[in-house]
Amino acid sequence: MAKAFFIDTSRCIACRGCQVACKEWHGLPAVQTRQRGTHQNPPDLNPFTYKLVRFAEGKTGAKVEWLFFPDQCHHCLEPPCRGAADSFVPDAVIVDQKTGAVLYTEKTGALTAAQCKEIQEACPYDIPRRNEQSGLLTKCDMCIDRLRADLAPMCVKTCPTGAMNFGERDQMLAMAHQRLEAVKSSHPKAQLVDADNVSVIYLVTNPGLALQRPLKQAVESYSRRELLGNLTAPFRRIAG
Amino acid sequence: MTNHWIDIKNADVVLIMGSNAAEHHPISFKWVLKAKDAGATVIHIDPKFSRTSARSDMHVPLRSGTDIPLLGGMVRHILEKGEFNREYVAQYTNASFIVGDGYDFKNGLFSGYDPAAKKYDQKKWGFALDEKGVPKRDPTLKHPRCVFQLLKKHYSRYTPEKVSSITGVSKQDLLKVYEIYGATGAPGKAGTMMYALGWTQHTVGVQNIRLAAIVQLLLGNMGAAGGGINALRGEPNVQGSTDHCILWNTLPGYLPVPTSDKATVEEYIKANTPETHDPKSVNWWSNKPKYMVSLLKAWMGEAATSENDYGFGWLPKADPGVDYSAIFLLDRMYKGRIKGGFILGHNPAQSMPNSNKVRKALEKLDWLAVAEIHNSETTDFWRRPGVDPKKIQTEVFLLPSCQRGEKDGSITNSGRWLMWHNKGIEPMGQSRSMGWMAVEIFKRVRALYAKESGAFPEQILKMDWPEVYDADGVARKINGSYTRDITVKGKQYKKGEQVESFLYLRDDGSTASLNWLYAGSYGPAGNLAKRRGLAQTSMQARIGLFPNFSWAWPVNRRILYNRASVDPNGKPFNSAKPVIAWENGKWVGDIPDGPAPPMALPGGKYPFIMQTQGMGQIFGPGRVDGPLPEHYEPAETPVKSHPFSAQLNNPCLKAAISDMDVLAKPGDPRFPFVLTTYGVTEQWCGGVDTRNTPLLLEAEPQLYVEMSPQLARLRGIGNGDPVVVESARGRVEAIAMVTVRITPFKVLGKSVHLVGMPFCFGWTTPGAGDATNRLTATVCDPNVSIPEYKACLVNVRKAEKVSELFV
Amino acid sequence: MDISRRGFMKLTGAGAACLGLAELGFDLAPVRAVAADLKIEGAKEVVSICHFCSCGCNIIMSIKDGRMVAAGGDPDFPVSEGALCAKGAAFQSMHYSDRRLQKPLHRAPGSDRWEEKEWDFVLDRIARKVKDTRDKDFMVKNGKGQQVNRVESIFELGASQLDNEECALTHQMLMGLGVVHMDHQARV
Repeated sequence: MAKAFFIDTSRCIACRGCQVACKEWHGLPAVQTRQRGTHQNPPDLNPFTYKLVRFAEGKTGAKVEWLFFPDQCHHCLEPPCRGAADSFVPDAVIVDQKTGAVLYTEKTGALTAAQCKEIQEACPYDIPRRNEQSGLLTKCDMCIDRLRADLAPMCVKTCPTGAMNFGERDQMLAMAHQRLEAVKSSHPKAQLVDADNVSVIYLVTNPGLALQRPLKQAVESYSRRELLGNLTAPFRRIAG
Repeated sequence: MTNHWIDIKNADVVLIMGSNAAEHHPISFKWVLKAKDAGATVIHIDPKFSRTSARSDMHVPLRSGTDIPLLGGMVRHILEKGEFNREYVAQYTNASFIVGDGYDFKNGLFSGYDPAAKKYDQKKWGFALDEKGVPKRDPTLKHPRCVFQLLKKHYSRYTPEKVSSITGVSKQDLLKVYEIYGATGAPGKAGTMMYALGWTQHTVGVQNIRLAAIVQLLLGNMGAAGGGINALRGEPNVQGSTDHCILWNTLPGYLPVPTSDKATVEEYIKANTPETHDPKSVNWWSNKPKYMVSLLKAWMGEAATSENDYGFGWLPKADPGVDYSAIFLLDRMYKGRIKGGFILGHNPAQSMPNSNKVRKALEKLDWLAVAEIHNSETTDFWRRPGVDPKKIQTEVFLLPSCQRGEKDGSITNSGRWLMWHNKGIEPMGQSRSMGWMAVEIFKRVRALYAKESGAFPEQILKMDWPEVYDADGVARKINGSYTRDITVKGKQYKKGEQVESFLYLRDDGSTASLNWLYAGSYGPAGNLAKRRGLAQTSMQARIGLFPNFSWAWPVNRRILYNRASVDPNGKPFNSAKPVIAWENGKWVGDIPDGPAPPMALPGGKYPFIMQTQGMGQIFGPGRVDGPLPEHYEPAETPVKSHPFSAQLNNPCLKAAISDMDVLAKPGDPRFPFVLTTYGVTEQWCGGVDTRNTPLLLEAEPQLYVEMSPQLARLRGIGNGDPVVVESARGRVEAIAMVTVRITPFKVLGKSVHLVGMPFCFGWTTPGAGDATNRLTATVCDPNVSIPEYKACLVNVRKAEKVSELFV
Repeated sequence: MDISRRGFMKLTGAGAACLGLAELGFDLAPVRAVAADLKIEGAKEVVSICHFCSCGCNIIMSIKDGRMVAAGGDPDFPVSEGALCAKGAAFQSMHYSDRRLQKPLHRAPGSDRWEEKEWDFVLDRIARKVKDTRDKDFMVKNGKGQQVNRVESIFELGASQLDNEECALTHQMLMGLGVVHMDHQARV
């Protein structure tokens, strides 16, 4: 049985324990950043940042909303990135059958920059990043080394509030649906993101605001594009 | 914290005010959210909408410096609606005490004020005593001079209209908060208050906490699971360092510092040991002589004898009425009266208010020894931007300190849990622990005095001082031991044996303990700070007490004042979440506040054992600026008047006075905005440790100033623009963070803008920005001299060019 | 030290039942590690405590050959149940930051630089400075003729970063020197 994450953004306090713990466990270096009028730093995922807490804020009437989204690879059940990669270099992207982890191997180094770009574009969540120096494609590896030693992924272990959860897929799905029901009373727009298609199931309270990426820096004005349409588009493209 | 971290989950209402718990104590939110899951309402009252607000049921923006109006209005609401816990208030607090004729309150001033000295004659506020010397009481709470009636009268002035007009909080929000929190006055309900520097760092800091405690006493929330006054302490071991009292005014275990007007230990004890004539009051501080003599024995060992007053005469004495605290210490340094000294893991050139002055003050030193892990704005003050090192004659020693994982020792967390940490790796390079440094430095000073003699060598040479630093050995000494063979309560003890608890400490020199509060942590059973047991009784498990994990002061009590959680017969007010209960002639649950039976039974005692009269102090005649909290504006305020009285600022406010200590006038048009300062999750305090940790600097790289879109428009500032923030004292560059999380306040009919800045960035981290505290003022609370970091006046403008920030 | 695995995830069927990726012939270089060389495998576990806010989160350091190879929240600590925030999560790299001070430094009056010195040099010199200052400024009596036994021109600031044991000794030393100008972060 495959594993899954359940990421309950309604419990996230954006302490960024997950973001730092991930870098610490993987030995990833810091990059130089700037304050740009937001707490979100690094500004985006990069070859040295597999996990990033995104911040989005807005105001509806007098009510302020500040949403936190611990972003990472969603570990798709049928990963479009693998589909794209397979046509260029077999086994550059693999799926660990036991856990469902989508893993990028050293063979990604054989991909050209243009091929990497295509793989990136295939990703519905804009996750893969190419390390221009090594030529490798990078992203969250689900802490596969820890999983194989019966240890939870570092981000899950580190989370103080229960925003990050990990376990058997059916267990996580049950938890996700249960939490969705509970959260809906205070956040009627709450929903699970692509739960049927991914191993990393997000619960978001305000999809229009939470899932925009990259983060809009402007305040008070948000484009109201329906995010789910965007999210499912790549799937349709692959299917078609 | 009167309670502890896990206990937050037991609350029915969590009021977070003066704290941004999710950002500064993220782990606390594990328990806040557990409370919320169980149905609790979480309210966050704070000037800005933060990560804490995002996870709360309700965020109420409040103008910085107006906590007393908001809470005063809550007291009024509670008394008017009769929501208070009558049995608790009448029996467990001093609400029934009759106040003497000397007390009065008029025009914002209490009786006994001396305007020239800016001080009160506190004797005016004493209670009316009966012939035995016990305060007179009216348990019906109807006597016009009883505390309850005076309280009611005092806060009747805090109407929702007035409170709203000065705080900037809508009347609707006020009433909602009052109703939700007031409901915890119902028997079996509990509300917790989580606060931090947002309450303390004001010129009315102590009275902010006092008023919170009054609310908690009225609602019967003190002593209960899910209740209490919970100070979320800041620094890594600030609880322990406070208990060990690295403070000019207290000795370890909160014993008062000796003063020059008390020449002998007998005079000291007589002046500082409270007396009660009420047999039902435990008056725990009556044990002070035992703790003081045991401390002197621990310090001076064999040299301290009953003949020589246990060496009391060798100790330094402070002069009464002189304030030696940080603000005044630095002021004297600036004025050239201090020549050298030690700074241990502290960055005052960055974190003390008016840091331009602090930096100048350091230049006046002849020598300075700093123990640090990294270079800081303090260690390198002599090469800061804009100064010529050649002109600075201070000799500076920088002692490399090791990190936590490189040494053994204990710390005390905010919930008073004493916990041991173990050395895992060798110190990096030649870095050493600060304990090692203290031992080595004092050893060498002692050797010099032994060889050369000098000024009053006894003071130095009589100290019982270790040859090497051994954390375990010191921990044993903190607990305390017998200094000779002795029989106590029919049991024989050998010299050198560890005492079991502070109940065994004595005032005859037969025991030695470096800190009575910690006696019991390392008794005959060993070092309890190392305990990792998770076992609990089902009663303890229900409230998450974990009595076998580590050890909590005092005597492993996990919830202070827990005798107030039961009725006078020992029956828990909240049967679902009992803390203690009197069952079959004994207490079960937590360690009770003293073993005496419940109050109504023979031999029973009052619950608040640390108070002389055994009662929770609604009326507090011990505070220098009044027995009841009253609203006064911050020293720098955007308003020229407030609706409660003509007394604009705290009449007892303390301030350092020098050419560099300039204040803006009330409503000063040059500095129209309120600045409040704070930390940020990924950096810590002055920021030296975290700025030098690349992964944390990556997440929060540069100084910013948060402001509302309205203010940004007013000043033509865009999000991410570099700006200049100026006060009457200094100028700081920062990046504008324009955010809907900050809203202008409507105050006395006008719009008041507030900006907020973290204080963690300094010039030793290139391009990150420099000390925000160059803007803040050296004005203090008169009780404890804590500076007012949370409110001062500034102007903000777009920067033409910047030199402190990489942009 | 005996530390239970309470709170650690149990994954059903993990281990032998499935073929590992390495066995499938994949080199997981970008993935950095597989179970076979899990970096904390066989490490000694030592409990420390996060040195930031006063939650006091217990931390397990994994030590191999005298080096901390990883650090993580202690699942047995009832307050955090193994969690950490960003600061606690950086425990390991904080210990190995190349920006740490590793040698005693001395800055001579009027100098524009630090000079590395041996411990003996700085400790002896500090002791001499303390003695000279104290001998010169020591007050036996105040203006009223009362015994005060203090030196006002030596100060101490800070201690909340210190362990309890270090605080206790620091306080004792300051009493022994006659220092009254002592204060720390508890007041700010």
